[in-house]
Amino acid sequence: MTDPIFVEDVHERTDGAGAGSCLTRANLLEKSVIAGGAMVVGGAVIGGLPALATSAPSADHDVEILNFALLVEYLQASFYKEALARGALTGELREFARVVGSHEREHVAFIKRTLGRKARRKPPFDFSDTTRDKDKFGPTAVTLEEIGLAAYNGQAANLTKGALAAAARIVSVEARHASWIRDILGRNPAPHATDAGLSAAKVTAAVKRTGFVT
Amino acid sequence: MSEEAGTRADELTLETLDDDGALSQALEGISGDRGDFLRKAALGGAALLAAFATPAAAAPSKKNDTAILNYALTLEYLQAVFYTEAIEIGALSGALKEQARIVGGHERGHVKALRGVLGDAAVKRPRFNFRGATESPAAFRKTAVAFEDLAVAAYKGQAPFIDSKAYLAAAISIHSVEARHAAWIRRLAGVSPAADAFDRPFSESKVRRLVSSTHFIVRTRRRMTPPFTG
Repeated sequence: MTDPIFVEDVHERTDGAGAGSCLTRANLLEKSVIAGGAMVVGGAVIGGLPALATSAPSADHDVEILNFALLVEYLQASFYKEALARGALTGELREFARVVGSHEREHVAFIKRTLGRKARRKPPFDFSDTTRDKDKFGPTAVTLEEIGLAAYNGQAANLTKGALAAAARIVSVEARHASWIRDILGRNPAPHATDAGLSAAKVTAAVKRTGFVT
Repeated sequence: MSEEAGTRADELTLETLDDDGALSQALEGISGDRGDFLRKAALGGAALLAAFATPAAAAPSKKNDTAILNYALTLEYLQAVFYTEAIEIGALSGALKEQARIVGGHERGHVKALRGVLGDAAVKRPRFNFRGATESPAAFRKTAVAFEDLAVAAYKGQAPFIDSKAYLAAAISIHSVEARHAAWIRRLAGVSPAADAFDRPFSESKVRRLVSSTHFIVRTRRRMTPPFTG
């Protein structure tokens, strides 16, 4: 069950990179996912997706899913932090980055606290000029927020009830962020009556397409 | 309710709608025989505030799913009729009108979806009297903020109790759209679209108390004027 407009959003090119460099970055991501010990979850997502998508909720499965969510939260938090540090944003865009960046940092802290020593480490990111160019910042923020929202919605039914209660407190805030930045950009904040979740494979593919995970 | 311009952010909460809760009985009628489940669900609500606390009450079951979906349906009726009536009355313009038009369409879609799932078990649409909230931009904005934040909190409070994976996926996919609506109308109302890093769930009893306090749901079958078909 995929939402066409949503897919369009996460597919949209926001980094301005050519197809060649995107492909290269995707390959690099693939290698780091398979090779990196800290990215075991990413490996499981890519390598064992059917199992991840259909297995019954369990504490172990919660750890996998939350580590997956943690990667997206790291990505978002780092993006806003870098954009603010580079100082290109003004007005409501800057306010958005400030407020939303602080939320994402809180999400990172919460998930890390929940996972304890099982929490994955933050990978290096390269946001290229999307954090330096205010015209690229907005559309990129839409993509990252929609990815976050779809990632949580897609995994909701795979979580234990306790983990679901915790994740539900985060996902609606991601939806608020997505709506806010869309409205700032003059896009429809709520393009559909329902937000379909994306499978872990599709979220992983969307993250790869950004080229931000080096 | 106050319709002052420049309402402060902290006044734009459901608490501003909280009067004396005199119509709780009316809502009780809508709830039908689900009172027992709903009381149990309310007990679970406090536990949900703690991350990873497993809800202790109201074990998920097919019967509970029906009760939860009907509870959601009542909230969707409330919102759908509110937006439909606001558009019909025609006091809104510009961005606010656009918000009401799009969001109203979503809420009607949610009603239709929930009724479709529930079939014969679906509760009937109650009668509403929005007491002026659909008749001026200021009152509309304030009420819409309250409704949308309430819907987000209500779905969030019930999600962990839903047994069926299909129903849960449906509820979750509505939940985040309510959050988009909330952020949208909050921005139009001049308050932060995303006030906190974590959104709180509301127990069913809290939601019911807040809705009751608005006096928007009326028990009588007496026709309100003007009539709206929502």
